[in-house]
Amino acid sequence: MSENTIDPKNVISISLGSSSGDFSRTIILNGLTVNLKREGTNGDLEHAKEKVRLVDGCVDAIGLGGIDICLRVRGEKFFIGEGLKLAEQAHVSPVVDGSGLKDTLERSVTRNLVEAGLIYPGIKVLMVNALDRFGMAEALIEAGCICQFGDLIFNLGIDYPLTTLNELHELATKYRKRLLTTPFHMLYPTGSSQDETIANPNFAKYYLENDVIAGDRHLISKHLPNRIDGKGILTNTTRESVVKTFRDAGATWLATTTPEMEGVSGGTNLMEAALTAVVGCRLEDLSVNEVTHLIENLGWTGSIHPFTERRGIEH
Amino acid sequence: MSTNLGEDLKDSLEKFAKDCNSNERLMVMNKDWNRVIHVCASDIKCDYTLVSKDGSISLTPGKPSSADMVVQSSAEILTSVFYGEVSPNEPYNEGTLRVQGSEQDVLRLDFITAMLWEE
Repeated sequence: MSENTIDPKNVISISLGSSSGDFSRTIILNGLTVNLKREGTNGDLEHAKEKVRLVDGCVDAIGLGGIDICLRVRGEKFFIGEGLKLAEQAHVSPVVDGSGLKDTLERSVTRNLVEAGLIYPGIKVLMVNALDRFGMAEALIEAGCICQFGDLIFNLGIDYPLTTLNELHELATKYRKRLLTTPFHMLYPTGSSQDETIANPNFAKYYLENDVIAGDRHLISKHLPNRIDGKGILTNTTRESVVKTFRDAGATWLATTTPEMEGVSGGTNLMEAALTAVVGCRLEDLSVNEVTHLIENLGWTGSIHPFTERRGIEH
Repeated sequence: MSTNLGEDLKDSLEKFAKDCNSNERLMVMNKDWNRVIHVCASDIKCDYTLVSKDGSISLTPGKPSSADMVVQSSAEILTSVFYGEVSPNEPYNEGTLRVQGSEQDVLRLDFITAMLWEE
């Protein structure tokens, strides 16, 4: 008697990040077994290209980590040259960068935090980088948060917080050509520099004057001051050690946007690759409503770690 | 010919400094970027010094005693860059514009040109 089995799906995230964050997990999505693997290439772009070529056709989807193919801002795509070149190494397996989930999942998780009372009108939020996760930025503004967007500070080293979505769109527009040509490591920490922490008072003041720190976990960790008492953290790509660091530094809560898998919250690229493998098409081929519905059906609502007993919501 | 190229370069650098100094937001962004930039037109052996201090940019002829950055190319390319006719990225990637300095400073100079001239 033959058994009705479906082959598991296999997806891999090839990251420009440090290999110290490598892991593998098996999850069930929509009744299908999905084997997930994350492999860091320590900032070596050529090595990452080689790996993409190697796994192309052998996996159901490839996620690119530590780099984007494009930024999605107000429905426009702003392509990143090195990300595009990396994606072009694959000809069979679909390649995704997580921007589809950032535009949908992170938006809905932020709204869930509003419902949970952790985010509310007037609360001050530092979003270390917003161009890379414009959906979250829009959801925070929509919730009435007072935002400081740190793209100039954390990506370019310019001590000037942006505060509006219009300014973010202006920056993306003015940088459109440069994103195609600027070496990515100049804009975002890759490889071992992701693991380095630089206590810079110019950055610390932004952590201290806001109530919530949101955005890319590597950027948040890189410039994390010794103490962030009472702050909430909204991010992903966490490990147990990272959770401990935030807790020990005095954070009140941590919310992760991607689902947690045995102590690991994966990158959006990996989770988007998993969805792509299960659905059988890229998320960008689906409508936003379809993706949102899919995410809701999977129960991906984000995870909240309360680090201290809440005394009630004061706002 | 050399004189005209030198004059064009000087005009472009003066315009660059003027545009920077009339952009209030850019001045705030650059308030703590205090740098000495040596602009060197190697083909006509012409040097200028741009000084960024407290958000303002000033221009003086000649090379500085020491520089945080050196921007070197032909007078024609430098003129195009400082008039905003081409992004510094283009000649830089083609190898016709050389920039010596820290990556952060290279990024900053590129950022200034993007803020001034990109739409």
